[in-house]
Amino acid sequence: MASTLDAPTPPPLPQPTWLQSLGQWLRQPGFISASPVLIFFLIGFVGPLVIVLGFSFLPERTFGFHGDWTVDNYVHILSESYWIPFVWSFGLATATVACCLLISYPVSYGLARIFGRWAAPVMLLLVIPLFVSENVRLFGWYLVLLKGGGILAGSTQALFGFDTGTLLYSPGTILMGMVYVYLPYTLFPTTLGLSLVPRDQMDAASDLGANRWQIFREVELPIAMPGILIGSLLTFVLAVGAISEAKLLGGANIVVVAHAILHEFTYAQNWPLGSAISMFAIAITGILVIFIMRRLDLDRLLGRK
Amino acid sequence: MENEKLLKQLVNSDPIRNAGPTRRNVLKGMGAGAVALGAGMGLPRMAAADERALAMLTWDGYVDPRVLDGFTDQYATEVKYELHTSDPDSVNKLRAGQTKIWDIINLNNPWAREMMWPENLIVELDRARFEPYFDKMLPMFKAPYKWAMSLDEQHLLGVCQRVDTFDFVVNTDVISAEMGKDEGWDMFNNPDMKGRYGILAYDNWNIMHMCMGAGLHPFKMKTDDQVDKFEATARAWINGAKLISDDFVAINLALINGEIDMYFGGGTYSISAARMDGLKNLYHVVPKSGPADGKGGINWIELNSVVNNPTLHSKAFDWMEYILQPDTSYYVGTAGGFLLPVGQLSDPAVLAKFSKEELDSFQWDEFDYRIEHAVEYDVVPDYNRLYDIYTAALREKA
Repeated sequence: MASTLDAPTPPPLPQPTWLQSLGQWLRQPGFISASPVLIFFLIGFVGPLVIVLGFSFLPERTFGFHGDWTVDNYVHILSESYWIPFVWSFGLATATVACCLLISYPVSYGLARIFGRWAAPVMLLLVIPLFVSENVRLFGWYLVLLKGGGILAGSTQALFGFDTGTLLYSPGTILMGMVYVYLPYTLFPTTLGLSLVPRDQMDAASDLGANRWQIFREVELPIAMPGILIGSLLTFVLAVGAISEAKLLGGANIVVVAHAILHEFTYAQNWPLGSAISMFAIAITGILVIFIMRRLDLDRLLGRK
Repeated sequence: MENEKLLKQLVNSDPIRNAGPTRRNVLKGMGAGAVALGAGMGLPRMAAADERALAMLTWDGYVDPRVLDGFTDQYATEVKYELHTSDPDSVNKLRAGQTKIWDIINLNNPWAREMMWPENLIVELDRARFEPYFDKMLPMFKAPYKWAMSLDEQHLLGVCQRVDTFDFVVNTDVISAEMGKDEGWDMFNNPDMKGRYGILAYDNWNIMHMCMGAGLHPFKMKTDDQVDKFEATARAWINGAKLISDDFVAINLALINGEIDMYFGGGTYSISAARMDGLKNLYHVVPKSGPADGKGGINWIELNSVVNNPTLHSKAFDWMEYILQPDTSYYVGTAGGFLLPVGQLSDPAVLAKFSKEELDSFQWDEFDYRIEHAVEYDVVPDYNRLYDIYTAALREKA
């Protein structure tokens, strides 16, 4: 017994080096199976981003990777009035998300709980506009809101004898266009989120004395929240990059971020500055997305928990 | 050697232009593959003679199916194309190495003479073959025509076709054409017109027009004081505009429906289709006077040149001759809903092809007046500086 206790402890097993660990990880069947997709992803998605990032550190108006690296483009963005397009884009995107949530929550509730067999036809009606190009749909709105012979102004003139005047070229009209275009991206994830709320839990809460507000706040909203957050996130990211609404319905009276980037890549022929504005927009959006994703429990959303 | 040339041609063909996996494209791809394989295996040379499509970087005048199909029928060669975003954008594409892709480039007048020829991006045309065509054009194009020649006047760099001026447009139900001509660019300086005009956002043209409005010659280098003047005008005009759009259909609709009474830049290029539809109250105005050598209008001339492509298409020069034929000239002048004057209108055979309505759509009766009162389009020497001011004014629009 004593001999057992006195026996020297065996030497620790040699720890694999960093390189060996990486080698083991790379030999995993999962990684090997995923590698074609990973390569495609790196070439098709990460590659262009790296090029844009590289361009953003080149001197102004250069068209190839030559010349000294510089941060002048970023300094230029911070010292000039580029904050205005950023405020417009992020402000309009936030307002769009808020409006879309206000509209989509009751509609989603109806689709998930009330419409029954009518839910599918209603859903179809909401999906059909997505088959038509965004620009065509916005041009339709342009024709509706135009002064004089526009559909709305012409109709009110013919039917009631008054002209609505101009309804275009204002931030309000841009917001209306953005809500119209991006509503489905909030609506469908919200509907999915609300359809995951078990009826039993709401009934149980009700049986235990919770009122409608308490059921909404304590049961329905927390369970539906991942869907709502995903819808909001999707809408926000798309809306930050929106350009057509401001150009067509807003008469370019405000310049959004995508428009500022477009200026630099086309008529200015200043690819490095355009790249730097793009990287700024990506960085700000990325930070916001990471912040929201940290609050999102994907396992719970996908029913794995 | 032949095999190597063929493989280079295949490599240099731009996949973007072969849009989509259509049955024809798939068959063509299989054909190209067979040719490449055949070349490698020593099949008869005839198989390798099936050349790629002629590749053209162009404005909209040359993409009309009547123009493209006519060439294919006549020369058994397909034509692929890409439309410009702007003149400098396309010049930069060639600078970035796309001379390997394109055979033909169609740009406004200054670029061939001042940029592309000195930078070896285009090749010269045979003067004996092409100058006789210039002699048949409008008198302004009499050979040797300045914008078609190199700076040393020794080399012919292209052939001309579409031509006009680009200035501003009024609704004659509200503002008479005569008033527009008399007042010129001061119409936009008038505070009473604030909120009553739009800007067609062809940015490089807007810079030139704002120079005119500031009393500056757009194509001469400006002093700091003159740049300050430009900035004041740019900010006043942008802040006073009711709408800014790069879509001339949208801006014409705004003009027709009373949202605005006039817009710049504009011209027959932007209104001829609407005028053809009967909207004769849309009118292209060239001021009677202005700061550019006493002129207020700007005259553009499109020039077609052959790219210095190391594997140039064998039919590239034939294309140049093809577009100057009477039928093709008419098709180019009425292409895709853009009705515009062409240099060949001096040829009675070409003139006879245009109907009275078509001629009226591009205000043909006033063409000589417009050219006489316009300075020829050129490169704006301080464009980058002015453009930065212009975009800042757009961002900060009040």
